[in-house]
Amino acid sequence: MITQLRLELLKLVRSKGFYLSFAALSAFVMLMLWGFYSYAQKKTNGLATDQFKYTYESKSYFNGLTFTLYSLMFAFSLVIPIFVAMTAGGQIAGERRTGTLRMICIRPISRASLVVSKFLVVAIHTYLLLAFFIGLNLLVGLLFVGWGNLELYPGPLDLVDAPGQILRDDALWRFCYASLSGTWALLVVAAIAMLLSVIFRNPVTAVAATIAVYLMLYIVGRIEFFVDLRPFFFTTDMDFWRDVLKPEVPWADLGHYAATCGAYIFGLLLTAVIIFERKDITT
Amino acid sequence: MWLKLLLSFFFVLSLVGAFVVGPGGERERAREANSANQTQNDHVLRLLTWNIGNGDLESETRAHDEDLSAVATIILDNDADAVALQELTGKDQLRLLLQHLENCYSGYVCNSAGGDRVEAVLIKTSGHRGSAAASPTFSDVPAGNRFAAAAAFHLRKDLPEVVLVSAHADAFSASRRRAFAADLTDWSRSHSRNELTFIAGDFNFEVSTRNKNNLFTDDAKHDSESYAYLLNSFRDLGLDAGETSINDRRIDYVFGPVANVTLRRAEVLRSAAVGRMDHWPLLIEVAF
Repeated sequence: MITQLRLELLKLVRSKGFYLSFAALSAFVMLMLWGFYSYAQKKTNGLATDQFKYTYESKSYFNGLTFTLYSLMFAFSLVIPIFVAMTAGGQIAGERRTGTLRMICIRPISRASLVVSKFLVVAIHTYLLLAFFIGLNLLVGLLFVGWGNLELYPGPLDLVDAPGQILRDDALWRFCYASLSGTWALLVVAAIAMLLSVIFRNPVTAVAATIAVYLMLYIVGRIEFFVDLRPFFFTTDMDFWRDVLKPEVPWADLGHYAATCGAYIFGLLLTAVIIFERKDITT
Repeated sequence: MWLKLLLSFFFVLSLVGAFVVGPGGERERAREANSANQTQNDHVLRLLTWNIGNGDLESETRAHDEDLSAVATIILDNDADAVALQELTGKDQLRLLLQHLENCYSGYVCNSAGGDRVEAVLIKTSGHRGSAAASPTFSDVPAGNRFAAAAAFHLRKDLPEVVLVSAHADAFSASRRRAFAADLTDWSRSHSRNELTFIAGDFNFEVSTRNKNNLFTDDAKHDSESYAYLLNSFRDLGLDAGETSINDRRIDYVFGPVANVTLRRAEVLRSAAVGRMDHWPLLIEVAF
C-alpha cells in the first residue's frame, strides 16, 4: 500500500495537470487582486462616500485578510472543485485510457488498495491546492493590500448573523483550519469523481459528469424554488468548511456537517471499490 | 478485505456522528444562556411589529379593512404596550382599527410622502395589565424619501420615556433602504437622551446566514451596511425569532437599546396572519 501510494504520488507530481492547477489558481489570485483593488478604490473614494452617510468599508476593512477571505470563498465554490474533479476523475479512467490499468491490476496488490491509494493522492493534492491558494492569497494580500484584523459583516458571503471581528493572529490560525475543513469538504467532490472514474471508461466523461453534478446542485441550491430540496444536496453540507472563519466557531454544526461529508466520502469510496473489484478490465 | 471493512467502519461512524451531533446546538445553547442570565426586572414592555399588507399577487397589496378585526384581536390577545404597523391605507383605516381595539389604544399614521401607504404606531392607553401610557406624543420621522411614524410615551410617570418608531423601508431598492436606515438611526441618535428607543418595522433586508443565495452583490452589500449601521446603536431583538415573512425571509425587525433592557421574549406569531398577508407579527418583550 505504501509503495503504491509512493508510485501514485510520483505520477501526480510528474503530470502536467498538477502544475496547471497551481498556475490556474495563481491566475485567479491575480484576477481577485485586480477586482478587489479596484472595488476598494471605488468604495473608499469619490461617489461612494458622497452617496451614503456611512460605510464600514474603511481603509482598515480592506486588508490582506479580507482579501484572502473573499478570494477563498469565491475560489472554493467555483474554481477549486474543478481541479479536484480533474485530478480524481482521471485516476482510474485515465489509466484505462492509456492502457496501463490492466497491467497495474495484474500486480500483486488488491484493487481496493489501488483505489484507496489513488484517493489518498487526490486528498494530498487537494490539501496542497488549498494550502497553496490560502498561502498565496495571504502573501499577495500582505504585499499589495496591507495587514489588519478580519472584519465580518452579515450579508455578503453569508458568513455571520451579526458584525464581528477576528484578530489578525487568530485569523491566520483560522485560515490554517480552513485549509483542513476545506479539504475535507472537497473530498466529497473527489469521491464522486473517483466513483465516476471507475464507472466510465473515458476520464473526460468522469470529470465532466462530476463538475456537472456539482455545479447543478450548487446553482439549484441557490434558487429559492428549490429551498426545500437544499438540505438534501451534498453541496449544502460542504459549506461547513466556512464555519471555522466565524468569530465563534459553531462546533456542533461543524461536527454534524463534517460527519455528513464523511458519510458521503466513505460511502462513495466504498461503492467505487466494490464496483471496481467486480469490473472486467479489458483494456 | 480489511480496506473495505475500514471504509465501511468509517462510513458507519460518519453516519452515526452526523445523527448524534445535531446542527444548531450553539444557537440553542446561547438562547438558553441568555434566558438564564435574565434579570428579574419589574417593568415589562411588550412591543409588536407587523406589516399587515398583502402579498404581491393581490390587487390591493395594502391592508384590507376586513382583516382589521383579526389584527385587533391579535394585538389585544398579546396585550402589546406599543404596536408598529406597516402598509395601512391611511387615517381612516387607522380609525377603524382603533375602534376594533375597543379604544384601548391611541394611534398615529405618518405622512405618506406622496405614496399610497402609511406606517402607524399604536400606544396602549388603557388596558388589563394596569400598565398603560398616558397621552403619548406622536411625530413623523423623515428618513430617505419617506417618513416613519414615532410615538413617545411613559409606561408609568416614574419610568424612563419609551420611543417607538414604526418604519417601512423600500422593498425594491437596497440603496434607498440604506439611506432610509441611516436617517432613522441618525434621528434616534440625535433625539436620544435617557429614553429607551425602539425602531420596529419591515426593513426588507435579508442578512441572515440561513439563505445562502449569492456570492456577492451590491444589494447584499447595501443591506449589510444598513444592518451594521443600525447595530452600531441598537440591538436586533428578534435575531433568534426566525423568519417573519413567507419564503423563509426574516425582514421584519425590532431594534432596541443595547443596554438597560433585558430581552425576555422574541416570538414570531406564525398563526396570526389572516387573508393573504405575507408577514407575521413579531412580538418582543423586554424588561427594564
